[in-house]
Amino acid sequence: MIKVLKAGLETSIQDYPGRIGYWNQGFPPSGPMDSWSFRFANVLVGNQPGAAGLECQFLGPTLFFDADTVIAVTGADMRPALDGEPFPMWQSVAVRARQTLALGAARVGGRAYIAVAGGFANEERLGSRSTFNKAGVGGIDGHSIKAGQDLPVAEGRGTPGLLVPNEHRPDIRTDRTWTIEVCAGPNDDWIDDAGKKRFLSSAWTLSAKSDRTGFRLQGPEWTFTEKAYNKPKEHGSLPSNIIDHGYPLGAINLAGQTPIILVNDGPSMGGFINPYTVPSAAFWKLGQARPGEHLHFRLVSVAEAQRMAKQIAERCVREILVNA
Amino acid sequence: MIYEQPKCLPAGDRYLLIEFGNEMNLDLNFTAQGLASAAAEAKVKGVIETAPCFASLLVHYEPTLIGYDDVVREFSRLLGSLGSSDDIELESRLFYLPTLYLDPWTKACVEDYCAKIARKVPDPELLVQQNGLKDTNHLVRLHSSSEYWVASLGFWPGLPFLMALDPRARLTAPKYNPPRTDTPEGAVGLGGAANSIYPVATPGGYQIFARTPVPIWDPTGKRPAFEGSLCLFRPGDRIKFVPVSREEYDDAEVAVKEGCYDYTIVEYQKFAVRNYNNWVSKVGGANNARVST
Repeated sequence: MIKVLKAGLETSIQDYPGRIGYWNQGFPPSGPMDSWSFRFANVLVGNQPGAAGLECQFLGPTLFFDADTVIAVTGADMRPALDGEPFPMWQSVAVRARQTLALGAARVGGRAYIAVAGGFANEERLGSRSTFNKAGVGGIDGHSIKAGQDLPVAEGRGTPGLLVPNEHRPDIRTDRTWTIEVCAGPNDDWIDDAGKKRFLSSAWTLSAKSDRTGFRLQGPEWTFTEKAYNKPKEHGSLPSNIIDHGYPLGAINLAGQTPIILVNDGPSMGGFINPYTVPSAAFWKLGQARPGEHLHFRLVSVAEAQRMAKQIAERCVREILVNA
Repeated sequence: MIYEQPKCLPAGDRYLLIEFGNEMNLDLNFTAQGLASAAAEAKVKGVIETAPCFASLLVHYEPTLIGYDDVVREFSRLLGSLGSSDDIELESRLFYLPTLYLDPWTKACVEDYCAKIARKVPDPELLVQQNGLKDTNHLVRLHSSSEYWVASLGFWPGLPFLMALDPRARLTAPKYNPPRTDTPEGAVGLGGAANSIYPVATPGGYQIFARTPVPIWDPTGKRPAFEGSLCLFRPGDRIKFVPVSREEYDDAEVAVKEGCYDYTIVEYQKFAVRNYNNWVSKVGGANNARVST
């Protein structure tokens, strides 16, 4: 059992790939936003890459351990410490019974991940332990963790002293600028050439009104093709309105003039076009981007995006680890 | 317009969107659902799930198991095997939901909106005006006369997008502008040509005029009628709103609270598109025009 002393900022239990198979009833997958860092945290403590761990957002939690175990902290630098003693991230670390783990505010990046040998053992909901905070599904009592809660942990055996070499970690930017891959479509033919060029050449600012349901972007105006104006009335009155349709995860959803990237807890359908889609391999960057930082978009093919996802999955394995 | 050839649109590294047309037309949704059900039956390796919407189908696949081109090929083949939309038959459960029309809660919600956000014609009266009805009793009679088709679920988990199956009961309404900041749980609403039920109290934009006391959303996953899911409906289900008195409404609400409410669900029927279309042409396809306002 692990007791929550301080919850941090909407710290939640997530597993990977999350709650899959319920998109047609409106359930998003949830799961960790930076699944690269998340999977490595699990691999470090001897878990399956997708086992349930904690996602910490911007400000980490303080946790009390009642038994010996092995943990790892990856992702954004939240300066983790055990009983006040700082310890390195991206390494498996032994924790003794009655020790307290504290994470602070993220210095760079947005999200850190805590894995515990065995993984968290909260009840599954629709095949996943992930927390979908907005609808109160999964996690513990449906929501992010709270001070005073006990977090159940499954039996597991980890080895302390393992390390993810630098060259296999995601490159969490310190210059506040990100290049995010995008695939064209499904509705890129609603945007005119000038609009496409503007999208791919501009710096977009990540708005503070962003959370695990959507990342809002601030930037230039969008311009449209004939298709956006010449359409049956049931599409709706705005150029970016379309008859309600399914949204892919990662869609750059154009709500009027505001692009919103639909992320892990996002809606499954709605009445706006999605001119571009952020592929799964670039999600970790969204998870680590902070409000106010700048996003540039780089067009990649579907095949290239699939290759990138495969490369990340091939990295997040035990064989990559070295002794610290 | 219904497309001669469905459009296959790539959507990132794991999704394909198939558009069947660009209008609100039940036939397009039948095709989307027919294809979803054919895909579920065919168990194509690497296809994780599909989600039908009004005129399209979203396909989620695992790219390490199947490539984009192969997904397109498989779904084109499945679509070909469906034949015309007339030949589609779908599993379809029918839910009878007790409904208090012109209820005090949606009324209070609309009054609150008028007082705090923007003045507007009360929702039931607006529906009467917009659809050339006699009065709100006429609205209740007409609205409760049809079965409603669950075209898709989304926006909130378990929130159904419903289309009236009886063309004579098809009503339309503008959406709220600006939207409401709140809607009572169980409120029945109409926006554009789509009806819906609010699974929980959420913001909303549909005109509201009735309320059901029975849950369509259950995060505990323990109600038997939900069959292990957290929401009551699946695409392709049908709903009938049964007008009840305030006393019956209260009784049902108490039964829900005590965990002994029995949902009325008919499970032995299949929905045959051909039979449905024959019936529609008999009862007055002319009114179909209403759906596209």
